[in-house]
Amino acid sequence: MQMLVASSSSLRDTATKSDDNPETIESGMDEFSDCFSAGSLLDSIDFDELFAGLDGDPDALPDLEILGDYSISGGTGDDRGQSSDDGNDAVSGSPFGSGSGLDAGSVCSPGEVVVDKAGDMDVKKDGPEGHFGKVKKSAASAGKAGRSKARGSDGNRKVKVDWTPELHKRFVQAVEQLGEKAVPSRILEIMGTDGLTRHNIASHLQKYRSHRKHLIAREAEAASWNQRRHMYGGARGGGMGKRVAVSPWLLPTIGFPPAMSGPMHHHPTVRPLHVWGHPSGDPSQTNTMWPKHILPHQLRPPHLHPRPVWAPPHLPYGQSQGMPCYPPPPQRFMAPPVPGIPHHAMYKTDPRAAAAGPATILHPPLDSSPSNESIDAALEDVLAKPWLPLPIGLKAPAIDTVVGELQRQGVPQIPPS
Amino acid sequence: MGDHSSASYIHMVQHLIEKCLTFHMSKEGCMEALSKHAKIDPVITSTVWNELEKENKEFFESYSKSKNEEDRMSEAETSELIQKLISDSSKDSKE
Repeated sequence: MQMLVASSSSLRDTATKSDDNPETIESGMDEFSDCFSAGSLLDSIDFDELFAGLDGDPDALPDLEILGDYSISGGTGDDRGQSSDDGNDAVSGSPFGSGSGLDAGSVCSPGEVVVDKAGDMDVKKDGPEGHFGKVKKSAASAGKAGRSKARGSDGNRKVKVDWTPELHKRFVQAVEQLGEKAVPSRILEIMGTDGLTRHNIASHLQKYRSHRKHLIAREAEAASWNQRRHMYGGARGGGMGKRVAVSPWLLPTIGFPPAMSGPMHHHPTVRPLHVWGHPSGDPSQTNTMWPKHILPHQLRPPHLHPRPVWAPPHLPYGQSQGMPCYPPPPQRFMAPPVPGIPHHAMYKTDPRAAAAGPATILHPPLDSSPSNESIDAALEDVLAKPWLPLPIGLKAPAIDTVVGELQRQGVPQIPPS
Repeated sequence: MGDHSSASYIHMVQHLIEKCLTFHMSKEGCMEALSKHAKIDPVITSTVWNELEKENKEFFESYSKSKNEEDRMSEAETSELIQKLISDSSKDSKE
């Protein structure tokens, strides 16, 4: 649309840039006069002047703010200043940034916008503009953070946040760090990510929390069911072999989400436990990890297959130490590589027990004190490798709360010196 | 005592407690284990446990429920096995 109509006087008057050419703007763009019906008005605009600083950037558009205030004198009816939501359809490529819909600052060229004279973009005129300005300024860093945003290509002000695994991880870290104080504004502060609004955080937080709650309740349920089934399985006597599949010491359904793909389908009786947490680094799972986790659980506890329900524990929630995501090394007592595969290590005695018949009475796991060595080993594992993900991924209490409580209990300093 | 060292210490304690939870240990068992194997003051363990419980009520409710059942079951299971043994051994002695 032929929009750029402005009289030179208006140009001067409303120009917010101090370095505007005070002279009458000459039309230097004769070739464009075809596009405009209001040719005479165009003549008064010196486009060379406007674009002077944008050399080398073919996509650059001038800051049209100065033009935005121009009333269209006698020309077309668009008031560019106000029509902020026309969409920038007319903008692409046109050096005029054809007026309608192209508000100052809402340039549609992908990536950066070099605005020369603008200096600082005076995009504070209206709220939504401010956001766009912000988007553009951080456009350079957009790639780094892996964010994909609507690059100003649509006229509406909502910038869609792509919750990449990395971004989500930072989010979770911030939440964990804040504990009870994990409110969107503080999370935003901690994350320090450009382009994220409090609103983005708030809604993400809400989804995150609701999912975790759901998940934890399920885990707890599953734990009790699994234990019960194990007990039943063992008591049959002849079920010795069966028991191999379930570790009596472990709560195999806790904390480990199944892989997103195959295992869930092959084990219809298996209830996928999703941990709404960190990405696995598996590229196939990078995007929108958490929506997958919102999948309704397939099974109710009574149908829970006695075999472990878990998959590689590489998607734990509790990865709050800033380490990159990676599948943890096989943990001695915790990690069957594939769901359903019996955990042999724990059952050395079982086959022998079965063979020996009645000679074996009680298996250590049956009573409530698991073997000391295995506990010791597990704990040492944690101490040695603090970066390992939390096996369950419970919601962490606020640090301040814990410290305060400890002080009340007479522990003034942690870690104790 | 910087904020970060407290935070990471507490995180570590939580991690250790969670490991104990996977062993279905009790709070007291956990305090003992952490004291013994990781030299963590039982008061600290107990405090962190309590706070975890507050933040994860549902989990801990279910956890203690299943723990009770487990204890009960193991008694029942034990007696059943003993019964079996008795009957089996009496069979054996006949052969």
